[in-house]
Amino acid sequence: MFNKGNKGLFAFILTLFMLTTYVSNAQEGESIFNSKCATCHSPHKDMTGPKLFEVRQKWEEGGALEGSLHQWVKNWQVAAANDPYAKEASNWSPSAMTTFADLNDEQIESIFDYIDAQPVPGAGGDAAAAGGGVAVATNVEENDLGWIWYILGAVFLVIIFSVGGVKRQLEELDEDNEKQIKVGSKAWIFKNRKYVGMGVLVIVIAATTWLFLGLNQIGVVTGYQPSQPIAFPHDIHAGINGIDCKYCHNSANKSKTAGLPTTNLCMNCHKQIQGAGDQVEKIKNIYKSAGFSPEGGGTYSGETENIVWNKVHNLPDHVYFNHSQHVEIGGIDCKQCHGDMTKQNDVARVVPIEELNKIEGNIQLTKETLTMGWCIECHGVKEVSSGPLEGKGGYYDEIHKRLLENDESLYEQYLEDGKVTVDELGGWECAKCHY
Amino acid sequence: MSRKYWKGLEELNETPEFIANRDQEFSQDVSVDEFLSDEKLSESSTPRRDFLKFLGFSVAAATIAACEAPVTKAIPYVNKPVDVTPGVATWYASTYYDGNSYANILVKTREGRPIYIKGNKDFGFTNGGANPQIIASVLSLYNEARLQYAFKDGQGIATADADSEIMAELEKIKAKNGKVVLLSNTLASPSSYKAVNELRNSITGGATTTEEGEEVASTSGAQFEHIQYDSVSYAGIRKANELSFGEAVIPDYDFSKAKTIVSFGADFLSTWLLATQYAGQYAEKRNPDGKWVSKHYQIESNMSITGSSADVRLMIKPSEEAGILAALVKELGGSTNGVSASIPDTVGAENVKRIAKDLKKGNGLVVSGSNNVGIQVLVNKVNALTNAYQTTINLNNPVNLFASEDDKMMAFVKDLTQGKGPDAVIFYGVNPVYSAPNGAALAEALAKTTLTVSLASVMDETATHCKYVVPDHHALEAWNDFSPKANEYALAQPTIRPLYDTVAAQESFLVWAGKAKREGKDSKVFHNYIKENWSAKEFAGSTNFDTFWNTTIHNSVFSKNAVAPSAKEFNDAAIASTAKHLPKGGDLEVVLYQKAGIGRGDQAANPWLQELPDPITKVTWDNYITMNPTVMIEQGYNEHIDQEHGCTLASITVGDVTYELPVYPSPGQAPGTVGLALGYGRGEGGANIGKAAFQTKEYGGNVLDANGNPKPIGANAFKMIQTASGVMEYTAAAIIENKKTKYPIATTQIHRTVMARNSIVRETTLDTYINHSKDAYNPDWTLQKIDENGNHVQAPLAEFNLWDDHPVENVGHRWGMTIDLNACFGCGSCLVACQSENNVPVVGKDEVRRGREMHWLRIDRYYSSDDEATVGTRKDKDNFTYKELEKAAVNPKVIHQPMMCHHCNHAPCETVCPVTATTHSNEGLNQMVYNRCIGTRYCANNCPYKVRRFNWFNYPSYKKFGEVNPAQDDLGRMVLNPDVTVRTRGVMEKCSFCVQRIQDGKLTAKKEQRPVADGDINTACGDACPANAIIVGDWNDPNSKIRKSADHKRSYQALEEIGMKPNMWYKVKVRNEENADLAKVQIEDKKATSSHL
Repeated sequence: MFNKGNKGLFAFILTLFMLTTYVSNAQEGESIFNSKCATCHSPHKDMTGPKLFEVRQKWEEGGALEGSLHQWVKNWQVAAANDPYAKEASNWSPSAMTTFADLNDEQIESIFDYIDAQPVPGAGGDAAAAGGGVAVATNVEENDLGWIWYILGAVFLVIIFSVGGVKRQLEELDEDNEKQIKVGSKAWIFKNRKYVGMGVLVIVIAATTWLFLGLNQIGVVTGYQPSQPIAFPHDIHAGINGIDCKYCHNSANKSKTAGLPTTNLCMNCHKQIQGAGDQVEKIKNIYKSAGFSPEGGGTYSGETENIVWNKVHNLPDHVYFNHSQHVEIGGIDCKQCHGDMTKQNDVARVVPIEELNKIEGNIQLTKETLTMGWCIECHGVKEVSSGPLEGKGGYYDEIHKRLLENDESLYEQYLEDGKVTVDELGGWECAKCHY
Repeated sequence: MSRKYWKGLEELNETPEFIANRDQEFSQDVSVDEFLSDEKLSESSTPRRDFLKFLGFSVAAATIAACEAPVTKAIPYVNKPVDVTPGVATWYASTYYDGNSYANILVKTREGRPIYIKGNKDFGFTNGGANPQIIASVLSLYNEARLQYAFKDGQGIATADADSEIMAELEKIKAKNGKVVLLSNTLASPSSYKAVNELRNSITGGATTTEEGEEVASTSGAQFEHIQYDSVSYAGIRKANELSFGEAVIPDYDFSKAKTIVSFGADFLSTWLLATQYAGQYAEKRNPDGKWVSKHYQIESNMSITGSSADVRLMIKPSEEAGILAALVKELGGSTNGVSASIPDTVGAENVKRIAKDLKKGNGLVVSGSNNVGIQVLVNKVNALTNAYQTTINLNNPVNLFASEDDKMMAFVKDLTQGKGPDAVIFYGVNPVYSAPNGAALAEALAKTTLTVSLASVMDETATHCKYVVPDHHALEAWNDFSPKANEYALAQPTIRPLYDTVAAQESFLVWAGKAKREGKDSKVFHNYIKENWSAKEFAGSTNFDTFWNTTIHNSVFSKNAVAPSAKEFNDAAIASTAKHLPKGGDLEVVLYQKAGIGRGDQAANPWLQELPDPITKVTWDNYITMNPTVMIEQGYNEHIDQEHGCTLASITVGDVTYELPVYPSPGQAPGTVGLALGYGRGEGGANIGKAAFQTKEYGGNVLDANGNPKPIGANAFKMIQTASGVMEYTAAAIIENKKTKYPIATTQIHRTVMARNSIVRETTLDTYINHSKDAYNPDWTLQKIDENGNHVQAPLAEFNLWDDHPVENVGHRWGMTIDLNACFGCGSCLVACQSENNVPVVGKDEVRRGREMHWLRIDRYYSSDDEATVGTRKDKDNFTYKELEKAAVNPKVIHQPMMCHHCNHAPCETVCPVTATTHSNEGLNQMVYNRCIGTRYCANNCPYKVRRFNWFNYPSYKKFGEVNPAQDDLGRMVLNPDVTVRTRGVMEKCSFCVQRIQDGKLTAKKEQRPVADGDINTACGDACPANAIIVGDWNDPNSKIRKSADHKRSYQALEEIGMKPNMWYKVKVRNEENADLAKVQIEDKKATSSHL
């Protein structure tokens, strides 16, 4: 059935599939560990739970029954009841371990593989990490206005060269014309006025277009990614660990601002998670802010320090934007405007519209992110609810009722395209956002 | 004939300047003239070409610079406070008391900064009442002149060092059996009294804690005296009640029970006693649709806010008051005990008879603003004769505020100036160097006193003469408790962490008494002290104190059952014993009064209050002598005030105090009297109380006096207080002399006139309202049209429509507002609340003079007179005599009309904007888009209500406004509302109906999945109104309050006849008066009213 080429292709695909499976197995341990274990366990350090480096070996040497360790992970009480070693292990701490009945043996093995692969700190670990908790700067400069100077420079260069060129041509002409006709530059321009005129016109149009396009870019902040005091990896927190956006940005559904996590919120987890490798130094930035020293079970000195972030999504002062209106009432997902933060290995940036449009479920827009065109474009297509206004709770029911009872023609006008959009209810009116 | 409404004499008299200015929305005469006549300008060497070069360069530079997006920082908390969510306002219930005004308040904070104050409508006996001073006090928190730490001899010192030095001095005084005096305002605070007693005991060695007022038996020879002294005293009322009834109290007045109110100069709607409570009670019974309407007689010298609302207003000189009261006593069948009855012509015997007749009907209430004991005794007599002590006046539930001990205070000053004074003086909440009549002598004597300590929060007049200043917190930073009346308790809680290293005054008392230790910025000393005190005392009513305490903090108040009023025996001997101290007359008498904004001058550095146009005179930023215009004409004062014609200066002399002040016309001022406001002249002698308290130069900076100190605004009228009869008195004989020089004054009354469209206000009498149809007092408009037969017929207004309708009515929301002209008495609270909510800039005197004040809401005060012909119909213009004018301007009726953007559905401003910067929303709002506006000002010129304001300058940064605009310094900026844009130069602005609040209210409803209901949305003005005159809501909701109010038979729309379909309604003012002229106009000649346009 298969011809040669097809067979080759099939083999290739199979290999690729196996390869990805293998890679994903290897990664699985890390991701499970981070999401389920890291709150209480560290490879090399006793925390709420004991350190787990080479724990399989330890249990085996200690005389644990076979499979007992896996049983422990799934439900420690069952293991403790069956295995004296496990029973003894349960005395390590009075705090009870969470049960993980949903983990299968392969996954548990992958976790231990991952743990055992972690290098022992101090023994040839990450030397760079010892450098101290220095703020990590990212590459994009926040005040990148260099382009204006380049443009200005370019304009001057063009002027200099063209003037020089004209002069040289004139001189050449001068020589060619055997001094019979004394030609001044003015006369030459006059003589060739058609070409000169056309040329000037073309230059003027080009320059105007260029300027116009350039001015249109002013204030457009797409891609803006300022340096930050802490290299906060969203992909680990929101991606691998699956922490909900609103856990940290917890006023997104009640306030106009989404809110930055306060240090005490970071410490909910990072009191336990002190990191491994080069993370240790990064996490120390939080400890510095909280005045926390992890040694000896952790103490707070009371000397706190604010973390000064550089704001990424800046709206002008005359724009009123309310997160809760969009998140709580509009039901807009964070990724509609902020992109897929589970893949952002850094603090944040203003995600370009092309990238936003690639995200599944996002409303497709054309205007640049964080411009007014972008806002009102969305208001023009976003439906207040699918179909008529029903089912959105009392507020919209009342609006719906008034439309039906008092001005059905207006309602029909709204429904001409089969949907009621934000702008039809006033979402394009100035004083909805500007006051 | 029709009724004419006029704002100022210029309008009544139609002066040529008035006519010229009337036709210009933006008057520019002054600015151009003064600019061209500026000598510096002619010396200037910048040629025009240079100027153009600079201009070109600046434009290019600005373009490049504008490209740069500033890096904004985002700084989260380290530990998030539980009750702060960034972006969401947190409200705290608290209590305001500054020694004069009292109210239960709600404080709005954003990210931990208080930005707005309003009355608490849910809890406390003030029922949401507030006044401009209370609302504006949030700005005083951010006064950059506040002291940041303790001072000794003008040098900074650590609080701990100041403490130990003061304590050491106190020890020395104790050792030599010396005397310590604590001079404070009326504290009315149970825990503060207790703390004072701790200090007393530590000095006298007394072991027992007593209630305030009782002397403690001392075990050491040292003495301690606590004197309470209020700069505006009501001691006369206490003394009179002691003589009349044996109880030295201020009774609890209930204006909501009073069917007949007779007020002798008591401004009980604005500044007299607990005005915050009385205003609400009074407004409740002025509703013509209620069961009954009170009848209000005001007999006074100055035209007061209260007088402007009266049904019958009569003019007297202060010295005539006793005679009228005696006549009233006689009329009521009582004995005057030798006080002779005399009725001046301005009152007339028939009016006294009418008053007596009304009082006899029961539920009468007579009050007097005088602090003379004899007058108050006569007032008590009248009240006793009409059985008021069983109904409207409750002696059993007395007021604890206003307990000024004038006699002790005077004795103290006398002792001190004679060198017999105490060894130590502590000043708390008082500023006697400024406010005592002999303050200068006091200041001198202080230098000779061993230990002088002030707890003032700014370096005021008294603090500059004290050795130590240990600054107190601002009230919004501190805990406090109050007992404003018997059986009423209240708490004040901090709404912000102390901005500076200040300490609670009561904590200082405890520390100096050795009862507590300083705990730094987050000290809980006094909080714990109050809590302990409350749990130990009778407050422990419930079984669970913590629950009780938390509930009380939440409500800010706790009341016990009040004792009902009961009949009291009046002691007739009181009249005879006080008769000899009744006010003496003079050819000219001056009446010292408090303005609604400046009051006693405590907040003289508050630019919002300085720029608040006085409710009656509409003057800003100045102190002046008020005089009746007819008298002014006789005596050669200029009575037409506009930008070019300033006031005439006059010197006024009382005793040995002489001031030179402008004379301002005030129709209704009793002839033979002049009025002069207290509270001005603050900051004399270099006391730094805040930039806005001083005169400013035209291009910024304070005007300096000969010594290089900034020059205060106005003159200190406290120096004219008389103390002859043992209490402070606020009336005196005066001499006035015309100085014939001009003084420019900034008044808003001539700005934005109605162009003789008298239909803008409507009023009627109670009789007409009850007995006649709507046609009489609130006729529907008709316009003329040609019907199908070619005849001219009158047709209702609804038939005429200039443009297509906006789909606003009955669809979605339609935000509307009604203002009840009957309830509004013009106090100015709404104006300040609007300024606070909407970041309205302060522009200063010079700009107000040019007609460029920025207030989004103004309160038009119209005088009205029945006998004045309508404009254009005046009979004989050429032979016009002042006699005609006199009749109109002597004692006119007054109407206050708050005026702001009407959000017309057919808005004339929208159609003329070339860049569509002002548009209509489908919720009926007229939206202003600052970023689109290019400042053509067409809209303002086309607005019939004249409510649009133009930003002539960059108020937050231009140096001219450095002294006056709070947004200019980092501290003052903290008061700005973060939800409202600060506008820039060159754009129009106007009332937005508080669109930020509308959006917020809608969002709340959406989140709670319910329709918008009454109460979700209120504007700042509606929030602040103590009389509940302003109702805001969704007109499209047929059950809403606003809909019912707008459909009411009293509702009309201003200038409805020109067809702009506004979303605002006014309600006809109904006076409880007999007015044959008005009745004639409305009932017999009603055709005249409905047809003229």
